Amino acid sequence: MAEGGGTNVLNENVPVYEHVEVNSKPFHLDSFRDLWLSVLKPEDYSFNQTSGEIEDAQFIEEMGITPETLEELKTICSPDSLRCHSEDEAPDPDVVPADPQLATLKLRKRRLDYKKTLIRDNVGRHDAYANEMEMLSLGRRAEDASDTVPEGEIVLTFNVIYPVLFERFKHVRAYQTLHVLGSQKLTELRDAICCVSDLQVFGEFSNTPDMVPQFISKDHYKSAFFFFEGIFYNDMRFPECRDISSVTREWTKSRDFPEFKTAKMEEATFSDLRVKVGFPYLYCHQGDCEHVLILTDVRLIHKDDCLDRKLYPLLSHKHRVVTRKCCVCHLYISRWITTNDTLAPMDPCLYCDQCFRLLHYDQHGNKLGDFQAYAYVDPGAFN
Amino acid sequence: MDYFKQTLKTDCEDLLGRFQATASVRFEEFSAIWREMKFSSVFYGILEPSEKKVFTRLALSTASPYLLPPYSFQIRVGGLYLLYSLYSTQLNTPKERIRIALKDWDDLIHFQQDAVNAQHYDVVYVLRKLLYEKAFCFTAMPDTLSFQVKKKRVDRRQQLCESFVDRPSRPQELIGTDVLEELANVHEHYEGLKKAILPQPPQSNLSLIKHNLVPKLRNSVLTFYSWQQNQADFDSQIDRDAGEGTSSQDESSRRAQLLASIKSRSYAQAVEASKSRRHRQMEVTSAARDTESTQQVSRFKRPLSLKARTNSRFMAQGSQNAELQSITRLWRLTEVEGKKTEGKTKTRFSWKERMRSKH
Ligand SMILES: [Zn+2]
Ligand SMILES: [Zn+2]
Repeated sequence: MAEGGGTNVLNENVPVYEHVEVNSKPFHLDSFRDLWLSVLKPEDYSFNQTSGEIEDAQFIEEMGITPETLEELKTICSPDSLRCHSEDEAPDPDVVPADPQLATLKLRKRRLDYKKTLIRDNVGRHDAYANEMEMLSLGRRAEDASDTVPEGEIVLTFNVIYPVLFERFKHVRAYQTLHVLGSQKLTELRDAICCVSDLQVFGEFSNTPDMVPQFISKDHYKSAFFFFEGIFYNDMRFPECRDISSVTREWTKSRDFPEFKTAKMEEATFSDLRVKVGFPYLYCHQGDCEHVLILTDVRLIHKDDCLDRKLYPLLSHKHRVVTRKCCVCHLYISRWITTNDTLAPMDPCLYCDQCFRLLHYDQHGNKLGDFQAYAYVDPGAFN
Repeated sequence: MDYFKQTLKTDCEDLLGRFQATASVRFEEFSAIWREMKFSSVFYGILEPSEKKVFTRLALSTASPYLLPPYSFQIRVGGLYLLYSLYSTQLNTPKERIRIALKDWDDLIHFQQDAVNAQHYDVVYVLRKLLYEKAFCFTAMPDTLSFQVKKKRVDRRQQLCESFVDRPSRPQELIGTDVLEELANVHEHYEGLKKAILPQPPQSNLSLIKHNLVPKLRNSVLTFYSWQQNQADFDSQIDRDAGEGTSSQDESSRRAQLLASIKSRSYAQAVEASKSRRHRQMEVTSAARDTESTQQVSRFKRPLSLKARTNSRFMAQGSQNAELQSITRLWRLTEVEGKKTEGKTKTRFSWKERMRSKH
């Protein structure tokens, strides 16, 4: 272990709370990383294991003890000493022991017993599986050594919260969790955020249902920005990109706001940022699709993490949105939304492709009745 | 999963409370309590792998604060053992890691140094083992944060377990540089306002607060601090004086004796003999017997003064390592102060009661 004299708590890049258990003060991510590396020994964050003999020899040397004392320490402090049962009668770890003493186990038992009384036992099952994605990538190594994330790299965790698309779901804060590396560009996160508004197709197609273009909004409207600590990071990678933050910045000029700066999203890496952990920032695309973005964690990468840099940004959580089914068959996911539709039970109304066509067109493809039809992308399409 | 937060805290504090009662920092003592409470089973009964992970994270994050100030050295040792035990007995592969924030690293290093200096080998061994096994995750903040403003209010009410906290440095903690600076600013502002109101220099009837309030407050704390230091130095001076008679002993046996002295006396308890330490056991038990047996009786009648206790505990041992003594000094103060605070909280309680009865 290295001596800790280097960390000066007064250094503004040592993250501290701004509001306890809510968010940190802003700090520069690359300086934060340097500070950690300056107080640690390389073997503390290395992906490789130091040999046990070297570690033992160092311990004996530094503590001035005999090898026998170390052996004794190993025995006393061995995890075996924590075994709460005799060796031959190992309990089933899947079962809460009968008559538990720990408050936590009593509560777990109560909850499990209550759950058994419920008939619908698959409530919230989607949530329970939500974290499984995380496990798929754990400990993944790059096939090509040159793609291995370097030791001492920082990993950032972002929660990207979906805008409230439907009034009905405004109490659920649906979000996806993405991990990025400090050395990655902001644009890499932008490209990894999936949002239905990127997949929308604009136009009314009731007269030409077969002519729905393949172009989606993502290809049409490429402007977007991140907003961190007073700076708008605009995506300017393509000629058609515009600084869509200018409207906001113009507006703030006539109000009593401090001046906001702009930067290019494709030129900034995450390590360049000076941000607060736990504080809400903004991602805006498609003109007005706004996502609150929270950096929930920054840490040094660990040998058990996914070490293949090509897999970053890494998705570890995705809220499963309930998909909206066709109003006719109640089976397939909706592809069409109609308005002013005399054939529909409600307005607007959702249909799967097949039911939509069977109901609204005759054998020759002629439109029956008067209505407007738009392509519909279900928010659950990403599940 | 957050509903387990409170019960986990209860269980951890129960365990640490029992550990505190042993007045020891030995891992054997800790593991005995762990086994007695069947603490490993805290992870039992979760089927979903993802739920297991989330629960383990919660358990580790609940235990982490006990490793850090303002908790007393002994509780911090207990906190370290608790983290190590939770880490080792968790049922996840790969294991969930213990988060440590950059701002807390210094504290951990100092803690380790204290343990090294006092030759608490088991403490150092466990900490090094965790580092060696890469059990730590080097983070920006102690927990992940997602701007949960409402949650914070509920949690903070019952955060600090007061009986685990070291008392001696409270005045220094309370009146830190930040507070003094803030106070100076407020004071300056106040004086400015007074000047603005009155055309001539402020009159005595407006001087309700001493004009040198901040330096005075600072001096008081410094005086208290240096008194604490002197008191402790004085104690170790006595130790040194007493030690001179036994200087003929060779270095290694003196170290062994000193270690035994710390183990047996700073926590008023004889070291348990264990296999390869048997050669020392003789000294320990015999040394412990002669003074302890007589002392043990009187100890419960009326707590002796700090000086008297230090005297009786260390004089007879003939230890000369003053540097080592200075490390243990804090604990000695703690123990005395700890007893005082127990009294204090009781009076505060009855005062509240009185207030209530008035209404
Ligand atoms: Zn969007
Ligand atoms: Zn259908």
